[in-house]
Amino acid sequence: MSTTLKRVHGYLAEFDSVKDLYHAAEHVRDAGYKRWDTHTPFPVHGMDGAMGLSRSKLPWLVFFGGITGTTTAFLLEYITQAVIYRTIVQAKPATIMSLPAWFPVMFELTILFSAFTTLFGLLAIIGLPRWNHPLFTSKRFGKFSDDGLFVCIEARDPKFSQEGTKTFLEGIGAKNIELVEDDI
Amino acid sequence: MSHHHVSFKDLPEGGEKFEVAKASKMVSTLAGIGGIGLLGSAYFFFSDIASFSYSWLFATFVAFTIVAGGCFWILLHNASNSGWGVTVRRLFENLGMLALPLCVLCLPLLIPDVQTHLWEWMNHHRAAAAEAAHLGNGATTLSVLHHMTVANPHLHVLSEKYGYLNITFWYVRFFFYFAILGFMAWKLRKEFLDQEKDGSMKHTVAARQWSCVMLFPFALTITFAAVDWVMGLDYSWFSTMWGVYIFAGSAWSSMALMLLIVSYLKSIGYLQQVVTDEHYHLMGKLLFTFTVFWAYIAFSQYFLIWYANIPEETRWYLIRNTGNWQVVSILIVLGHFIAPFVLLLSQPRKKNVKMICAVAIWVLLMHFVDLWWNIIPERGPSLGKGVSIPGAWIGDVFAFCAVFGTLGFIYFRTLGKNSLYAWRDPRLMESVNVRN
Repeated sequence: MSTTLKRVHGYLAEFDSVKDLYHAAEHVRDAGYKRWDTHTPFPVHGMDGAMGLSRSKLPWLVFFGGITGTTTAFLLEYITQAVIYRTIVQAKPATIMSLPAWFPVMFELTILFSAFTTLFGLLAIIGLPRWNHPLFTSKRFGKFSDDGLFVCIEARDPKFSQEGTKTFLEGIGAKNIELVEDDI
Repeated sequence: MSHHHVSFKDLPEGGEKFEVAKASKMVSTLAGIGGIGLLGSAYFFFSDIASFSYSWLFATFVAFTIVAGGCFWILLHNASNSGWGVTVRRLFENLGMLALPLCVLCLPLLIPDVQTHLWEWMNHHRAAAAEAAHLGNGATTLSVLHHMTVANPHLHVLSEKYGYLNITFWYVRFFFYFAILGFMAWKLRKEFLDQEKDGSMKHTVAARQWSCVMLFPFALTITFAAVDWVMGLDYSWFSTMWGVYIFAGSAWSSMALMLLIVSYLKSIGYLQQVVTDEHYHLMGKLLFTFTVFWAYIAFSQYFLIWYANIPEETRWYLIRNTGNWQVVSILIVLGHFIAPFVLLLSQPRKKNVKMICAVAIWVLLMHFVDLWWNIIPERGPSLGKGVSIPGAWIGDVFAFCAVFGTLGFIYFRTLGKNSLYAWRDPRLMESVNVRN
């Protein structure tokens, strides 16, 4: 007899069509749930609006990442070329007046830092990398990368209740509602 | 979430017809500006033709870049098989159709008395041609130019460039540019007008094919028009990035103008259902793209010339980076790139009509300043009147009003001939309900 302790992750509900899923998402949004997500094998246009997602914070991270790149390159070049080791090339002044020569590096580092901030900022925001996810304990969830359309409302949502959320999901036309439990 | 799906039945049969009566204020204002401009320019033409030449070149060339930009956006839209812009494409087509009236406005540039002040190389060529006719005996313009090099070594470059830079070929090219722009605007517009009669997909395919074919002649047109009319002001100066530089500003400014035209038409009650804030966002993104592209090209051109430090190349920047022109140079760096770059970064600002219109006005203004800074610094030195001629800017303003008032008047007068958007285009609904 197994006595393994389990933790409820949330309800996983399946929908038959993208249209059903889209409208279900609108219902979940309007019901006031915050900790939930949809899983589809392909992007669904307008789903961010249906889910009521606000704009990503990522552009702000990238903006400051880019500015950091510009500044880094400028300081790198100014300090080395005009302060520490003044290098005179083709009779060009080794001062701030040689700024045009530094632009290519400033430009490249802006892009490099922006690209890195985009990638690593995205990974940080979506919580990757991680070893596992509780949803993988569901046998049916594997269909999300083939033909399954899912809504998952997590137990950590303040509005979550074992009975109420299940009734709610049934009410919006969900099929195969499953309580996902994860080993602790 | 304010979006609701528009279906074909919601749109008026036959599209929307623009009535001049609804825009009478705008049309009469433009006519007034054009009329005053033409009168003022006529006065300058007869009283000070030397200064007039530069004013007129400036005004017509700015208009040329904007009209060519209109053609470019049609070509790009069709060639890239895009769907989003079907509801605004007709407005670009009408902008491209201004190529022929613009050609008429450019005719003063064909007068030798105007050319003599603008393009010094033509004077040498004409002197050489006259000398050749006088000598007879098999002497040609080229052979005389070659002999003139002995007394004036600067002319060596003219005899070397003779294959391209000769007066006959210059005239041929002049008409070639307008023929190309006029033909592409007419042909592509005609395909979509025919589609409104039979609703056939084949016109969309034909427009796509023609657009791909026309891209190359278009690139030649914008590049060599810039070389002939503006780079030619100083025959010893050259920059291989020049054509791209002009092209970048051209596409940039015509997109800004289109944002203003669309907003104006919406403000008097047109395009309400078919142009949404999503279109503003898309057009704003393209405006942003060309802000960056222009800066990239403008800096690259400056950078290469600054670094190489070859006297015949640096002369161009020297006269623009000294005296009062330096103020304009710095204004262009800040106003042509940094300000629009920062303003156009955020999505909500691109979707805010008032904001994007303010940016578009600024963009147009900066485009004018950019070309003014490209053309006018040659005036003082070329006419032997010092760095700049006091009061000559008045002639620039008159010429500008003449060209833009006239073309704007023609634009709105001809806008009502057809629907404002291609109402039977197979991608119409894709464009109306576009999300991005």
